[in-house]
Amino acid sequence: MSRNSLKWLPALVVPVVVVGAIIAVPLQAGAAVDLPDKTPEQVLLLVNDSTVSTFSGTIAQSSDLGLPSLDLGAGMTGAAPTDGSTAAPGPESAAVLTTALELLSGSHEFRVYVSDPSTSRIQVMDHLAERDLVRNGSDVWLYDSSSNAATHLSVPAQLSATAAAKFAELESQLPTDLSTPAQLAERFLGDLDPSTTVSVGTDTRVAGRGVYQLVLTPKATDTLVASVSIAVDAETGLPLQVTVLAQGQAAPALQVGFTAIDFAQPAADLFNFVPPATATVTEQALPAMPDAASRDHAEATAPAAGDLPTVTGTGWSSIVEIPAAAVPAELSGNPMLEQLTQAVDGGRALTTSLLSVFLAQDGRVFAGAVPLPVLQAAAG
Amino acid sequence: MSSSEVVPPATATADSSRRGAGWDLLGSEISVLFRRRRTWAMLVAIALIPILLAVAVRLSSSTLAPGQGPPFLDRVAQNGLFVSFTAMVVAIPLFLPLTIGVVAGDTIAGEAGLGTLRYLLVAPAGRVRLLLVKYTGAALFCLVATLTLTVSGALIGAALFPVGPVTLLSGDTISVTESLLRSLLVAAYVTVSLLGLSMIGLFISTLTDVPVGAMAATIVVSVVAQILDVIPQLDWLHPWLFSHYWLGFADLLRQPIDLGSFGQNAIVQVCYLAIFGALAYSRFVTKDILS
Repeated sequence: MSRNSLKWLPALVVPVVVVGAIIAVPLQAGAAVDLPDKTPEQVLLLVNDSTVSTFSGTIAQSSDLGLPSLDLGAGMTGAAPTDGSTAAPGPESAAVLTTALELLSGSHEFRVYVSDPSTSRIQVMDHLAERDLVRNGSDVWLYDSSSNAATHLSVPAQLSATAAAKFAELESQLPTDLSTPAQLAERFLGDLDPSTTVSVGTDTRVAGRGVYQLVLTPKATDTLVASVSIAVDAETGLPLQVTVLAQGQAAPALQVGFTAIDFAQPAADLFNFVPPATATVTEQALPAMPDAASRDHAEATAPAAGDLPTVTGTGWSSIVEIPAAAVPAELSGNPMLEQLTQAVDGGRALTTSLLSVFLAQDGRVFAGAVPLPVLQAAAG
Repeated sequence: MSSSEVVPPATATADSSRRGAGWDLLGSEISVLFRRRRTWAMLVAIALIPILLAVAVRLSSSTLAPGQGPPFLDRVAQNGLFVSFTAMVVAIPLFLPLTIGVVAGDTIAGEAGLGTLRYLLVAPAGRVRLLLVKYTGAALFCLVATLTLTVSGALIGAALFPVGPVTLLSGDTISVTESLLRSLLVAAYVTVSLLGLSMIGLFISTLTDVPVGAMAATIVVSVVAQILDVIPQLDWLHPWLFSHYWLGFADLLRQPIDLGSFGQNAIVQVCYLAIFGALAYSRFVTKDILS
């Protein structure tokens, strides 16, 4: 009898060992790391001094916003342009909205390859499918494997040059000299200070690398944001993960971070995208740069001051109010809106763990990272 | 293994004869498994999946819009090499687990049901060795089944459709030779995916003397695991379900190739092998063999 019970030992021991290993291994990976202590200013400096421009890695994004799950497939078919070349702006913006909403719900995995600022590739790893965004100098390719469609965009070379010139111009107009990173860090912290407590959290590991956690905690109590933490790689200063915690919710409302990172140069042929022979290729022209004449015209037709969104409140608890006239017609008539929002006192509302949107009956829209009653009070 | 099977009697010293008996046992187990009409029927049915798919696509006059039907089906008409990928996606959720359930569920219970188990144990092979031999046979069937699917898919695809460079999910194009290599890699991935279920089947097979019961129970386990995999409330459990990575072979069709899910899948399967291997061992060595 005792021999037999001995023979049952493996059936008990092996499952216990396996389950123990499953629990223990991730705990060990997330074990506390001891890095040299740094003040928030020093961590910000570390980010600013970061010279990383070449890396490849896997990014995991997950969100738990409490959004209702949507029938996104229905939105997609309605949004598919029929002739490809002259897509009406309505469906196209709906497609953008659908993609944005899709990326905000659930979890996603990406692979990124960056060789230099103008050479990069992002892959959205879908279930049995993939979407690619490849930029190689002035060529930008979008490829969607589920529809086998590629879109090509040419970015004129002078565009980036103008952007750099614009930036220099802006910089010269700034009141203070921001030439040294230390000043930049100080200024950034000074701006944050009235509404935010900045601290350095416990050192931990992200993607197997030791990181400092820069934690921004709102001082205001009427905001939905509990804290924002940014994990900064101790060696290179590259931010590796951003986590947003919401009030009254233990799981992160939003988390984007590397699960693996490699600072080696990615293979060059990754960026030479040639669309497959069977794919439908769409050439898309960039909207022309508005020249001086059309800019004047734009100013003439610019919405009156009363139509512009106004911001009330400061810092984390600020509220954006969009007047009824400025709300796009596609938005108010969109059936998806009915699905997303629920009827509340005085209008319809969308509440998530991080953001509330209140659509008043008179057409005004209020939004902010605050609880819904605050928005209703602002509307009332 | 049928009762007519002859296991050579032990003659020389115990140790060497036991080892020899183990290899003989494995050889006879494999030859019995693959000489069975049932095994052949299952392999033919597996080979028919891609043939059915390819013929249906070939005969239909309407072209599929991208994204319609099972994944990759719209590519089949452009490139025959996609037939085996589509067939794999179609066969993984039910058909392959079904055949694995039949083979793995029959391992011990089948012998017990026929009354041949005690004759097998009379030979100096030992119960542990018999378990190992039975499991190796079931694992070999997993490999043969996925290879059958891949090869018949490639052949029917090449016969009915043009064959050319293959477009991966990332939009990059690879040569025919490389795509065949990736097909073999996919077959290896799916084989590894089914190893955990085979061990569960072997364990269930040691519990009963009724082979049909063990087969049905194994298939039910695979269906239950897939149902659990789509319940969002159990998302903490999902990465540890043996069926969770079954369709992850798509990661082998990206550029650059992503071997991450191959590794994760292998780790999960090894966990199941260890747990259910230990359970099967304890159950089988303490079992009263009456038939």
